[in-house]
Amino acid sequence: MNNYYKSVQLSIFIVCFGSSLIAQLKGSNLGEFQYGRLPNDSTSVATVYDRIITNYSFGGFKTRAVVEDFEKGVQEEDYLKLSQFSVRFKKSPFELEVGNFYETIGRGILLRSFEVPGTILEDHSFRSRHYFHRNMLGVNASYKRSKTDIKIIYGKPLNYVFPPTIEKERRRPDEIAAFYIDYSLGKQTLGAAMITHTNGINSDNYLMMNASGSFLKSLSYYTEIAKNTSDHKLGDFTRNTPYGIYTNLNFSANRFGISLEYKNYNRFVIGAGINEPPAGIKEHTYSVLNRSAHVLQTDNETGFQFELFYTFLENSILTLNTSLAHNKQPNREFTFREYFAEYGFVLFDIIDTKFFVDFADDPFKLEHQRLSIGLNANWEILTRSSAEIGYQNQRFERLIQRVEYHVLFLDFQYSPKLSNNILYEYSNDPFLTNGEFATWLGAGIRYKLNRKNNLQIFVGNRRGGPACQAGVCYEVLNFKGVELRFYSRF
Amino acid sequence: MKNIYLFYAIVFMSFLTNAQTVPNFLLKDIDNQMQSFENLKGEKLTLIDFWATWCKPCIKAIPKLNEIYNEYKEKGVNIIGINCDGPRSISKVGPMSKALSIQYPVLLNIDSDLRIDLDINYYPTLVMVNQKDEIVWIHEGYGHSDDKLIVEQIEKNLRDD
Repeated sequence: MNNYYKSVQLSIFIVCFGSSLIAQLKGSNLGEFQYGRLPNDSTSVATVYDRIITNYSFGGFKTRAVVEDFEKGVQEEDYLKLSQFSVRFKKSPFELEVGNFYETIGRGILLRSFEVPGTILEDHSFRSRHYFHRNMLGVNASYKRSKTDIKIIYGKPLNYVFPPTIEKERRRPDEIAAFYIDYSLGKQTLGAAMITHTNGINSDNYLMMNASGSFLKSLSYYTEIAKNTSDHKLGDFTRNTPYGIYTNLNFSANRFGISLEYKNYNRFVIGAGINEPPAGIKEHTYSVLNRSAHVLQTDNETGFQFELFYTFLENSILTLNTSLAHNKQPNREFTFREYFAEYGFVLFDIIDTKFFVDFADDPFKLEHQRLSIGLNANWEILTRSSAEIGYQNQRFERLIQRVEYHVLFLDFQYSPKLSNNILYEYSNDPFLTNGEFATWLGAGIRYKLNRKNNLQIFVGNRRGGPACQAGVCYEVLNFKGVELRFYSRF
Repeated sequence: MKNIYLFYAIVFMSFLTNAQTVPNFLLKDIDNQMQSFENLKGEKLTLIDFWATWCKPCIKAIPKLNEIYNEYKEKGVNIIGINCDGPRSISKVGPMSKALSIQYPVLLNIDSDLRIDLDINYYPTLVMVNQKDEIVWIHEGYGHSDDKLIVEQIEKNLRDD
């Protein structure tokens, strides 16, 4: 038996080696070492996470394998797993993929897959780290031409909360079969999708229709209506029917752009959350705003978002945004409102400056009269070296308390090799401090060894809390210690 | 021990293999028209910019990429912007691209499958592709004077061509 395995391994090696001269074997490795304390840790703990991706292409075939490894010295939390594997065959206009794949239907109202680049997730309950993504495990067949896009999908979406240490059935409790088709006539497209969802207990059918296009080079639109059709009539959009309606209208003229979005979601959580309709709320990159983002309640939310961009001469950019989200719960109603303005300009020809003001009211999170301001300045010191300084302040009323956050950061870059930063945060938020106030101080270095390898080091204290990245909101844990990350391509 | 041999074998083979190539992709642009890499790629070089509307360095890079595009488009170099915004912010790509007067084509990749396919893990990432569709240079992030670095690489690869 042992000889048999050796022969198989040798054969695979010879085939791969021989064909490698005309094929491609590429990949990357992300390794992270942490030594420090997370919430509920009484002492510092050392952990190692590693993720290796290999892509092997040969003609129209491509295989992708992702191996993840986490070592902490705790048997229930450690793992070494082939976490993703897929085989794809592509011959235009057909494509067939078996295994793990990423697929989103329309704007994600029915189904959304994602991978948040560079983010390793750790949950309060499952103290095991894994890469942050939601993919499908199954079969994805598509036919794509300039006018037509057809997709047939069968698979089990990942519930990303569960790390690879949890059994497959819990990580992928939902099973879907979907069909999507769209057809374009000129600049207008009409599409439709059907999806059947089951989780072993319940089974539901959903229907979606979308339309998108543009007129006169300056006006474009996108609209998507989806609903549960299992026990509900097609035209029934009453309170007991699960449905999702999303519309977006854009207008652009010279140096000027407007985006208007409308949403109306009712009981529209599919399975363990395999869909992710557009939130209709701005995703901020400023940390005080990013961490206080309103999280979409697809169970019941209506609202709109309006955003305006204007680029002045000399590339100064003005962004204005306002959004409203209304949630109805059995005994209460909440209305979230936000007004945001940002102006980016170049001062004295060398200093890239950004200034923002944000005012919001979020009764769902008990944050009233929330005012946030911030300033960023980035200037070139010498050729390829620059410095950046930023300050952000946020204050709001919670019950009878006045809560404040201050964020200060300094950054020095020698492009493209080196980047150093220091981040200081202060808060008197009783949800975080259990006392009068708390501070967080952290320093980071990013060093690019060469075009294929880079190194990142973090030392200090990192504030946890909600965070939104690439459109997905999740929880970051507090961390105090040292973190070393090495990324390489091969 | 077997795993170590396998790892070395993979690394060793990766040195022998050809350069990574960009597959011919088909994506919709901000005017809702399907576009293919085959039709958009430059005669000599193509720069593919992976970006998102919420990424500040990505926005900072755009005016410089516009300048580079205008300077090199007649020399067989094209730029393609691949936007990777998800459902939350994809609606803003069109208005923002037009407000920033992006001159080169911008394509929408809502599920980021092209980014994942090419193993891109950072925003922005600029991928330089030669006429054989081989990736000849990858640049992650965008800081002051990176435009000079990009121009240096374009010149170098045009000379090598």
